Amino acid sequence: MTSLAAERRAAAAAPGQAEAGAPQAPVLVSVENLRIRFPPWNAPLKVVEDVSYQVRSGETMGIVGESGSGKTLSSLAILNLLPPPARITGGRILFEGEDLAAKSQAQMQKLRGRRLAMIFQNPGYSLNPLLTVGAQLAEILKIHEKLPRAAALQRVEELFRLVGITDPGSRLSQYPHEMSGGMKQRVCIARALLCNPALVLADEPTTALDVTIQAQILDLLEELKQRLGMSMIFVTHDMGVVARIADRITVMYAGQVCETGDKQAVFARPSHPYTQALLASTPRIDKSYAVDPQGRRERLPTVGLAATPGQSLGGGCRFAGRCPEAMPECSRLVPQAAAIEPGRVVHCLKRGSAGVPGHG
Amino acid sequence: MAETLIAPAPEARQRKHTKPLLSVDGLVKSYPLHRRGLFRQTVAGEIRAVNDISFSVDEGETLSIVGESGCGKTTAARSILHLVAPTAGAIRLGESDVRATFQRDRRPEVLALRRQMQYVFQDPYLSLNPRWSVRQILSEPLRVHGLVPAGQWDGAVEALLERVGLPAEHADRYPHEFSGGQRQRIGIARALAVEPRLLICDEPVSSLDVSVRAQILNLLAELQEELKLSYLYISHDLSSVRFLSNRIAVMYLGNLVEIGEVDEIFARPRHHYTAALISAIPVPDPARQKPRDAIKGEIPSVVRRPSGCVFHTRCPAALPVCSQAVPPLAAPDGTHAFACHNPR
Amino acid sequence: MTDQTLASHVPAPKPAAKPARGIWRQGWQRFARSRTGMLGLALVLLVVATALIGPFLAPFDPQDQSPMLDPGAKAPPSWTHPLGTDRMGYDVLSRLIYGAPTALAVGLGAMAIASLIGVLVGGFAGYRGGTTDEVLMRFTDFFLVVPMFVVILAVVRLLGVAIVNTPFESVPYLNLGVIILLIGVFSWAPIARMTRAEFLRLKHQEFVEAARCIGATSGDILFRHILPNALPSLIVIIALGIGGAVLAEAMIGFLGFGDPAAVSWGQLLYFNYEALKVAPWASLSPGLAIFVTVLGFNLLADGLTDAFNPRAKA
Repeated sequence: MTSLAAERRAAAAAPGQAEAGAPQAPVLVSVENLRIRFPPWNAPLKVVEDVSYQVRSGETMGIVGESGSGKTLSSLAILNLLPPPARITGGRILFEGEDLAAKSQAQMQKLRGRRLAMIFQNPGYSLNPLLTVGAQLAEILKIHEKLPRAAALQRVEELFRLVGITDPGSRLSQYPHEMSGGMKQRVCIARALLCNPALVLADEPTTALDVTIQAQILDLLEELKQRLGMSMIFVTHDMGVVARIADRITVMYAGQVCETGDKQAVFARPSHPYTQALLASTPRIDKSYAVDPQGRRERLPTVGLAATPGQSLGGGCRFAGRCPEAMPECSRLVPQAAAIEPGRVVHCLKRGSAGVPGHG
Repeated sequence: MAETLIAPAPEARQRKHTKPLLSVDGLVKSYPLHRRGLFRQTVAGEIRAVNDISFSVDEGETLSIVGESGCGKTTAARSILHLVAPTAGAIRLGESDVRATFQRDRRPEVLALRRQMQYVFQDPYLSLNPRWSVRQILSEPLRVHGLVPAGQWDGAVEALLERVGLPAEHADRYPHEFSGGQRQRIGIARALAVEPRLLICDEPVSSLDVSVRAQILNLLAELQEELKLSYLYISHDLSSVRFLSNRIAVMYLGNLVEIGEVDEIFARPRHHYTAALISAIPVPDPARQKPRDAIKGEIPSVVRRPSGCVFHTRCPAALPVCSQAVPPLAAPDGTHAFACHNPR
Repeated sequence: MTDQTLASHVPAPKPAAKPARGIWRQGWQRFARSRTGMLGLALVLLVVATALIGPFLAPFDPQDQSPMLDPGAKAPPSWTHPLGTDRMGYDVLSRLIYGAPTALAVGLGAMAIASLIGVLVGGFAGYRGGTTDEVLMRFTDFFLVVPMFVVILAVVRLLGVAIVNTPFESVPYLNLGVIILLIGVFSWAPIARMTRAEFLRLKHQEFVEAARCIGATSGDILFRHILPNALPSLIVIIALGIGGAVLAEAMIGFLGFGDPAAVSWGQLLYFNYEALKVAPWASLSPGLAIFVTVLGFNLLADGLTDAFNPRAKA
């Protein structure tokens, strides 16, 4: 286990660098102009359009968006686990010097579980109900690292301890249905860490869990981040969760990136109108909502949120249909990345992006 | 295993000039556990989904019930609406005794009672009949209660749609043609069709997208003011609860552990579970990540309830007495009641 | 929440230019995309057309044995007899055509009876639950277990003997009617089970609870809410059952227990299978007809499954 931590730290810190505050860690994954389409192929649905972001070693990138934003698909694309008939039709995914988008399934199978790991949303569905958890995880070690059964089970037990599963030895012979939701998710996290992956993708891992259990799992992920220097892509729709767990944030809407930047900067100074609308309209537990003497309650600001969530399909910025600051060219031109601060990028014509005519 | 169950002290009412619309006293819902033998079934125990809770909802106010899975909040709501029959307890809505009305089962009385309280479901996808048009869905309550003659149904349906912010032209569409937020509006419109006094909303925004939630919450606030509705709002999402409620009740494993005014509960939670729940919610502000009140362990199984205070197995401040005696729900200062031997 | 389906990309109601009307229209559009379904539909329509119009176009009367003289029995296909003649001098094509309405009468008639009983029993059991459910299901089990063919053959034989010299003897197609009734009576059990399963599932759905909350009566809920939602699965199983009923009747006819007054494909096989080597067309034709009909209904059922299941692959 200590070897795991040491390996992590070595991978995280580039040679010859100091600790916190130093020049940035090397880029681990670079998604460039990713395009994913759904059939019919003569008029395909462009579910992910020109998405680019980078994840550095040791950092957690939080991808925030609602349903239909393409956040899950773009992260599944990294693992080449797109649900058929979706296909990557453009762009590159650079990882350890190779373009993952160009690899075949057979080549990806060697990477999955070993260099790239995934934690799914519903732990109940992603664990095989017919095998004990120990057997399932040991199998992964047998396949990827050719460990014999006893050694594999021992390693699984170590990892169970790492992720905070109580009494790890006896848990090995338990079946998933004998475990609670939180426990199963811990098993899934352990499974992701089995072969010391370079990158972990987490797709809404806490959404299906109870609130207090969610807090425990987020605590665990924080701790693992510190101890192992884990690099993570964390996909979620919850701004609160991303404010806790992420280092950098990418906000997506309808398959396009709205903005990317450091967590503090994006929350403190949201640039894209969608981010602003999202932050303004989320009810907060740390805010007291006033009720006037007649019993009238103050309302949540819903500027930028249309009653019927639409998107302009004209080929330009997809938020243009709902945007309170939309200009006529917004529905024609696709906003490109504009750097507004060091390390921050926004895709909005109004905020200074250049526009490229979109194909409708 | 005899536990001392002291009847909870009635929590004082702030607004003396309004009387409670709904009052629930000692509500219990338990499910017997059967052991299936070859020829007979024996009762081997029970699952207490709702364990002796009491509260009231005044006219025009919103009381929220919060808790995690297994706390019994949805079962409590279903028991109040008599979608499941409560095992024990008294429920009064206005002047009527709910349980007695359903036991007598005289249709005019039952219908009159059903008119007064309605339910907004959690899942907008499953709570509308997929084979009915919106017009049919909204006309059904009109037909069942005979509120409006058949010739005027269309007008009433259109008025309902407009009230919830949907265009009247959509009346002939089918549920699958609408988004989640719109379907939830249809569900709300259906509940409003009978002009109820109490609306029980069960996690109405949890299945919706974040940007749609604000609109539905605003709609609920608006309807409450316009129609003088009372809400029993059930959720695990404390942020929407904070927005919409006047008072909050916290449930854990079937028990009511704390109840009080909303700002007071958030500012000074007295029960450790309430504190843990509030601190577990991540705030969308990286600068304000509060240190968490640690809470260990998992939610215990409802079948094997912990003795004494149900929360003692996970409580950071548990005393020996906590595992022996059930703490009574008491309000030392009138409006804020909690059930804890060792409150914060 | 992380609903990445296509629906979340076009969430607004479709523009007024193309108002999609309801589940049935949508179902038809999906069905039309299924090649197996459309093929099945085509075959079924072919059989139906043959049954309805064929008798008017058939070159010979089915009971006409005159071809015995010219070109003789067991004659190979020719211009006058496109499918040849059979062992007893009938024109095979005409007999084949007249077999179609019999087959359809059996298939549709038996399934009508089976559906009526099955839906009532299964629906009642599923909705009521408890003891009613147990009792009705044991009753259903009985019908699942009893060997259909043995009983039908026995009854038909006994009937044949019993009605001699009674007024019943002159009732036209009594034998066939009894066969249809019996096939129906022994086919309702699977429908009952399916109906029960659907009703059990649906009665816990939220929209049913919503209806109870509004105050709808049990009758309202059963007939207006649950039944329409159970129909898609039932239609599929009924379509499959029609094919099964046709096959059952063919088997009964092949064994020689069919109604001598009715022209049925099974009976054609019964009359002609001995001459298979000499006059294959007389046996292969009805065999093919049975095959086409049953296949048609099965493919139709396949297509319907896809059509009514919105989660089918895009």
